[in-house]
Amino acid sequence: MSLDIASVQDQLLASYRDRGCDANVSTMTIAVFFENPAIGELARDRIRMLASKHPSRVMVLDGSAPETVHRVDGCDWIELGVRESGPEMLRAAVASLRLADAPVVLLWAAPGLGNDPRFDSLAQDAQTIVYNSSLLDSGRDALRELVSYVGNHPQLPIADIAYLRLAPWQECVAIFFDGKAVAELRDLEHIEIACGSDPEALYMLGWLASRLAWTPSAADAFVNSTGKRVAFSIDRQGEPRRILRIALSSSQSTFVAEVDREQATIHLSVTGSSEHGARYRAIENPGIPALLERAILWGQDDRLFAAALEAAGKILNEGER
Amino acid sequence: MADEAIATATAAGDGATSNPLREGLSADRITSPCSAVFFGASGDLFKRMLLPAVYSMRLNGTLPADFALVGFARTAYDDDGFRTYCKKQLDLFMPPESKPQGALWDDFARRISYITADFNDTRHFVDLKNRLAQNDRDFGTSGNHLFYLSTPPPVFPEIIKHLKKAGLEQDPEGWTRIVVEKPFGTDLESARTLQRAIEAVFPENEIYRIDHYLGKEPVQDIIALRFANTIFEPIWNRNYIQNVQITSAESLGVEERGGYYDHAGALRDMIQNHVINLLALVAMEAPISADADDIRNEKYKVLSAVAVPSHADVWTMSARGQYGPGTIDGRAVKGYRGEDDVAPDSNTETFAAAKVFIENWRWAGVPFYLRSGKRLPRKVSEIAVTFKPIPHRFYGDSTDRIEPNVLVIKIEPDEGISMRFEAKVPGPKEHIRSVYMDFSYGTGFGVQSPPAYERLIGDAIQGDQTLFTRWDAVERAWEIVTPLLEVWQNTKDFAFPNYAAGSQGPEGAKKLFSDWRHL
Repeated sequence: MSLDIASVQDQLLASYRDRGCDANVSTMTIAVFFENPAIGELARDRIRMLASKHPSRVMVLDGSAPETVHRVDGCDWIELGVRESGPEMLRAAVASLRLADAPVVLLWAAPGLGNDPRFDSLAQDAQTIVYNSSLLDSGRDALRELVSYVGNHPQLPIADIAYLRLAPWQECVAIFFDGKAVAELRDLEHIEIACGSDPEALYMLGWLASRLAWTPSAADAFVNSTGKRVAFSIDRQGEPRRILRIALSSSQSTFVAEVDREQATIHLSVTGSSEHGARYRAIENPGIPALLERAILWGQDDRLFAAALEAAGKILNEGER
Repeated sequence: MADEAIATATAAGDGATSNPLREGLSADRITSPCSAVFFGASGDLFKRMLLPAVYSMRLNGTLPADFALVGFARTAYDDDGFRTYCKKQLDLFMPPESKPQGALWDDFARRISYITADFNDTRHFVDLKNRLAQNDRDFGTSGNHLFYLSTPPPVFPEIIKHLKKAGLEQDPEGWTRIVVEKPFGTDLESARTLQRAIEAVFPENEIYRIDHYLGKEPVQDIIALRFANTIFEPIWNRNYIQNVQITSAESLGVEERGGYYDHAGALRDMIQNHVINLLALVAMEAPISADADDIRNEKYKVLSAVAVPSHADVWTMSARGQYGPGTIDGRAVKGYRGEDDVAPDSNTETFAAAKVFIENWRWAGVPFYLRSGKRLPRKVSEIAVTFKPIPHRFYGDSTDRIEPNVLVIKIEPDEGISMRFEAKVPGPKEHIRSVYMDFSYGTGFGVQSPPAYERLIGDAIQGDQTLFTRWDAVERAWEIVTPLLEVWQNTKDFAFPNYAAGSQGPEGAKKLFSDWRHL
């Protein structure tokens, strides 16, 4: 079954004319693909918020709906059923309906990357690709797939929501080592992360490893640049996609960032030789629209992300041995 | 590599910048720890603007993790009393979702302290020094001190003198910066006197002269509009531009500021700082980089090319006014002379307008009209760039007027950009009408611009002076308005009040420029 793209184009024209859509600011075309209707509803909701801040043409590619579904809502919101559409048909649809000159952002909200030719096809015309390795419970597999795909496509302009979600926690960990405590970075011996899903914990470890030149050496350890062992543990607890606690221990101090009981703030504490009075930071669990925005604005060429992803891939490989 | 970075940081002991975990983290987070001291902390500006800005920065994570706030003012409080006062003000002035509560407020509150002080007594500044040292120990503020002068301006020199006497002008462990609220002086001489007092204690790179207008998003967008686009700059000159009108109008009167305003007036209160800053941004040449000094160099250069009117020219190059009773939004309002704390025969202008020329290659012959006033029909701040008429008319019905193109940068309200151009009315006739292409921050990006004070306090903590005015520009702005000030001060206007509240301003301003944009 083929998509009736001409009909959608007619609807777009009519929509502009009948609804009196004025010339407006348009910043991009967002194409979102999903197969699970529940995920689709969430994706629509988040993209609506994003598009309210960054006016965009939105193409909802609904892999659960038949091709008979094709309509234009509002001025620039296109719903397309693509259940049976092949890779080239999808690519042609996006090429025909995108805004000329504005970049295309592909949100891939479906399982599988490299083994799905539709992703391969859509990715070719996208200036930014946004993935979420902790969208489903199979987080480790999703992250593994991403590592593998990026390994084969090193120039892929992709961002992972699971990594972007770490930003406030990266900030908390970095705060510990501002000032003289920076010396303790080379003396770290153990990292503990309590988290509701694996990708965020693996990214945190990957980020630390890539910044501090640690090499994964076992399923639960790195070696640092002086050959010293740095052990780590991941404790799965709490809600998926939420970090609860990160503790870093050196021979002299323990640095702990953890969510307080009311889940309103992150409490930072340091005991030992680098002891520091308690500090608090507002919990920032940025919503998906905010993370999407970060991904679009800054995520597609982030060498820190690339390094953290590569290191996370090595941690996963060590775990498989 | 990481080990080298760690070793370097350890040797330097300088912390944040050498922390290898900092690389690549979002730059909007401020890493430099500090104590911020607010002189005049029991005043209106602190409670309405500064305190909410700082607490909002705490909530959105931009404030340094190691931070402390010291209030320093005459009103008597102890630390706990001042914390209670701050909470009460935040309850009043923060939006409902950001009220102070929970562990975050508790943590913020314990970092607040207060010194009841006489600004003329060095002992209280020594107390302040001890308190800052205590903050360094308790909150890791690392000897970094931000002094914010939010007192009435006459007190500034005393504070600065005593900061020096108490040995607070610099800290061997960290940085010291001083934020000076506007107005910077009340005329050229007093500004120079104040500058001498400040520069005797602080070098220019530690002085942050604040004009909160510059923290507004649309003002910053002037630079983006001009220099991040190719279509405007080629026509941004005398060949294509007929005139530039910069307006800062308010529908409000002097409210509770009658005592201050009656000694200031519109020229000092708005034109000398806000409006001339806008003039500099709209007329300057392209800076060679976004570096603070590169931008400020260009601002100064263009202001130095502004022709200062002679005393004799003042009456033909400017207009002043004072509002009388009138109607605003259907409500009768009293005249300026009937406001609280205003002299019944006041000669203070509540409306000021001036025509200036910039004597350089780009702008020769292009008039810049500057206008500011109170009790005008509506609140509007904007820069309107009117382009020259078409050189030859051959199209359109002869009864149609072909208007010049106008680009309007709207600063408040309805922040955005509007372009007027001519278009053919659909139909068989060749009728021409003006149409408007509008960009609004509100609908374009769906966000409210962040409050100016948050941006500016953050920049001061980070040591970024881009949005603060350098002394040479302040001095030049005073030089530009000085002839007007002198002539106006020495000439009583017996026609005052000469415009009704809610009207378009005095007739004299219309004579100055017949094509003022309607307010």
